[in-house]
Amino acid sequence: MPQDGLPEATHELAVKGDEADGSLATAARRLAQEAKQALSFGARGVSDVTEEFAAAAKQLRPGQLVKDEYFTLFEAVGALEIMDPKMDSGYVPPGDTFDADFDVCRGLEAIEIIWIIDELLCLEIAWHDGYPLSQTVFTSLHIDRLLSPDNRKPYTFLYGEVPGVELSDEQQLVHTVLRAYCLGLIKCIQLPLHIVQSQNFYEEEDFVTHLFGQELLEKLKTDDVAKALDDALRCVRNVHLPADVAEAIEARLWFRRQYLAVLLGESSDWSNLITRHEKANSSHELAKPLPAAFSDKVQRQLATSTPPRPMLEVSWTHAYKKWTKLCADMVEADRLTSVWICQSPHCLQRATWAFAYREPQPGTFARAYLQDRLLGSDMIAEDVSHFDLLLTDIRDLVLAGDPLADPASFQIEVPTDPRHLCSRHIGSFMDKAFEEYLNLYRMVCQNRCRIRRTFTQTIPILDSLETVAKETDEELHRISSQRSLPGPEGTPVRLNPLTSWTRYHKISIMAKSIQLGFETDIYLPDELCAMYWLLGTYSLTQSSGLKHIERFLLDRMKTLTKARNSRYVAETLASQDWIRSLVLLWETTRLLAVALANLCGTLMDLDVISPPARSYAQERLLWDARMKPYMTLVHDPVPSIDEFHRTRQGTGDLSTACEAVDQGIKTAKQHLAEVKKMSPQQAKYLGTEEQWARELKQLETTCVALVVQTSQLMKISEKHGKKEARKGDSMREVVEVSLPEPAKRYHLWWVVPQISERKRS
Amino acid sequence: MSTAALVALSKASERAAEDAESYLNTFLNKTLHIHITDGRMFVGQMKCTDNERNIILAMTHEYRQPSKADVQLAADRHERAGRSGNVKVDMKKRFVGLVVVPGQYVTKMEVEG
Repeated sequence: MPQDGLPEATHELAVKGDEADGSLATAARRLAQEAKQALSFGARGVSDVTEEFAAAAKQLRPGQLVKDEYFTLFEAVGALEIMDPKMDSGYVPPGDTFDADFDVCRGLEAIEIIWIIDELLCLEIAWHDGYPLSQTVFTSLHIDRLLSPDNRKPYTFLYGEVPGVELSDEQQLVHTVLRAYCLGLIKCIQLPLHIVQSQNFYEEEDFVTHLFGQELLEKLKTDDVAKALDDALRCVRNVHLPADVAEAIEARLWFRRQYLAVLLGESSDWSNLITRHEKANSSHELAKPLPAAFSDKVQRQLATSTPPRPMLEVSWTHAYKKWTKLCADMVEADRLTSVWICQSPHCLQRATWAFAYREPQPGTFARAYLQDRLLGSDMIAEDVSHFDLLLTDIRDLVLAGDPLADPASFQIEVPTDPRHLCSRHIGSFMDKAFEEYLNLYRMVCQNRCRIRRTFTQTIPILDSLETVAKETDEELHRISSQRSLPGPEGTPVRLNPLTSWTRYHKISIMAKSIQLGFETDIYLPDELCAMYWLLGTYSLTQSSGLKHIERFLLDRMKTLTKARNSRYVAETLASQDWIRSLVLLWETTRLLAVALANLCGTLMDLDVISPPARSYAQERLLWDARMKPYMTLVHDPVPSIDEFHRTRQGTGDLSTACEAVDQGIKTAKQHLAEVKKMSPQQAKYLGTEEQWARELKQLETTCVALVVQTSQLMKISEKHGKKEARKGDSMREVVEVSLPEPAKRYHLWWVVPQISERKRS
Repeated sequence: MSTAALVALSKASERAAEDAESYLNTFLNKTLHIHITDGRMFVGQMKCTDNERNIILAMTHEYRQPSKADVQLAADRHERAGRSGNVKVDMKKRFVGLVVVPGQYVTKMEVEG
């Protein structure tokens, strides 16, 4: 090997060129000179240090490093080793060619075109699924040619040159049909990418936005692409093809055309897309494989700091399912954000959750699409602004039938009018609450683990918002004296609407952060009792808060009936139903949580569930670590571990505990039966009726399962004469418990221990 | 050899090693052009080296000579545009980030500035 490989290589190039074409040889020779100049970098002041460096390096002791003090060995581990086939994406094995050996300009059979298109559909959906473009769409040599930095407008397989007019059918299929399809595909990557990047998502977990130094034909207008697709459709009709083959290609072109149209907002008919895709699916077996049209060699030219990775293999059946799912998610995202759902913040909240809990969970693009529909502009629907949404939320929950939260009060401009003064204070509170309020929707559009994590981060923010709410409530009371009612201890209490509203949302998020913890399986068996106990505590706080709001609502109702303000009366009645449904649901949550805390606690007392052996852990520190998200709260300080132990002490022996579980579940079932009777308008589940019914059913089944397991425990203990077993009496020898993983639960948020008798071996 | 001579020798080699180390230190964070056996060149900031001349470069770009097809394309374009004079073909350049170039493949090293 020569010291510098380049001159020889170019020389060889020139020689070969000589045989083929004189002018090419001249060009190559000139190029060799140029390259030599470029490589010497004389102008930029580069000096050759090969010998000196080598000699100096030899002087170092083995293992001795000369390194930048800020450069760590930890970083060094991430360095890609050049010339290592597994690490170096630019490595060309001996005997291999640098470029893939396939001429993208050559004519292809129609059935080969079908195969390429279908393969591209497989790779495109794999990208949506989280794989990088370098392993998927970019491995297509046709796509690679169109994206080549050497290509120019109008972007053809001939690097921007327009192919001649005398093209054979097979050539037309490539240069007109496949080209148009590929251009369409590139735009269908660009547009979703834009939507995803404009919204919240997690690169490492959800989606790879990296383009590896490529550009997605930014200069090419989507109109031109749409036109190219229309031309392609004409072309298919003009070339001579068997009817089924022509139809198959047309279906694929139509799919691309329609997909582009919905992405551009020209149409919103995602369901039509499913139909188009079905047509493509039914003709997939016509395809004749042409694997040579794809190659992972393209990675040699992509800017990447990762090792080379094989091209992804995706089966058509799998891809077809995924495409159908994507389109169905989009249809649902549109439906769940329709105007009549967006009118009610609580229906919309349920809708967002319903979307997140579609099975399987919607992908990043679908979730970004929903975020874009919700938060892409300052309007949530045509005539509902985000401001309206927030105000409606406050009114529905705490201020129905009260002029304080009446949009009309916000229109009053007389500076001395108390309504004007109050609305200014409320407005300024809303400004402060605005971002976090919209986050209540945005967070639910993230992946499941992130929902929980962002929730835990939002809790302290909502807690400090509560401080602002308290101050604003004081201001409101100062401006126009607010009504007070006798409190539980006889002292008069005020509604404090904004505080109550903020608290409701804060406690909801706190409870959900715990419940998502169960769903994502982060608690150890010996933590279940404490976490359900904590959930029960927060649910109690929530339902007493709601009952507080309800008392003032009923009181307001009395005044309104006298005043015969029919709009306010209707509003108040609706709010009453809504609060009633919330109280029932939160009470159900509380009862279930308390029952499970009881059952798990009992199992711990009896040594059936026991903490793992930890040599250094201290109970108090473990508690602090688990309570971290709630630790900094000022208004709802996290209960101490002593408090937890105190409440656990009063639970008595096994049969008393089981009895308590039974009683609690009985009441929970009554609540569920009552809430089941409520209409979508009353309990605000318009648009999510199906999910609502399913959720209630799951909760009912959870109740039944809990009773079954408790009686099972009783039966076993009776058999072994241990009905009065208490803390310290081990039942390890006779009782066995297993905790179902999320997929096997009746409801993801409720872990009902499966109890059985331990068989003696 | 006497003990004194041995001590002197080892001292001399120690000094040489120190000199070598301080010489190599001057390259840290300088932009190096490292040519390797397959004709590629890597341009990046030197972060680390050892006695086998393995070199870690950060923020590295890989340069590769244009392929036959690239040259052909450039020549065609040149001709079609009716231009005279030299055909220019850029080297293929791409970002590869943090790399380690094993000493055994290094054919030539240059330093900028």
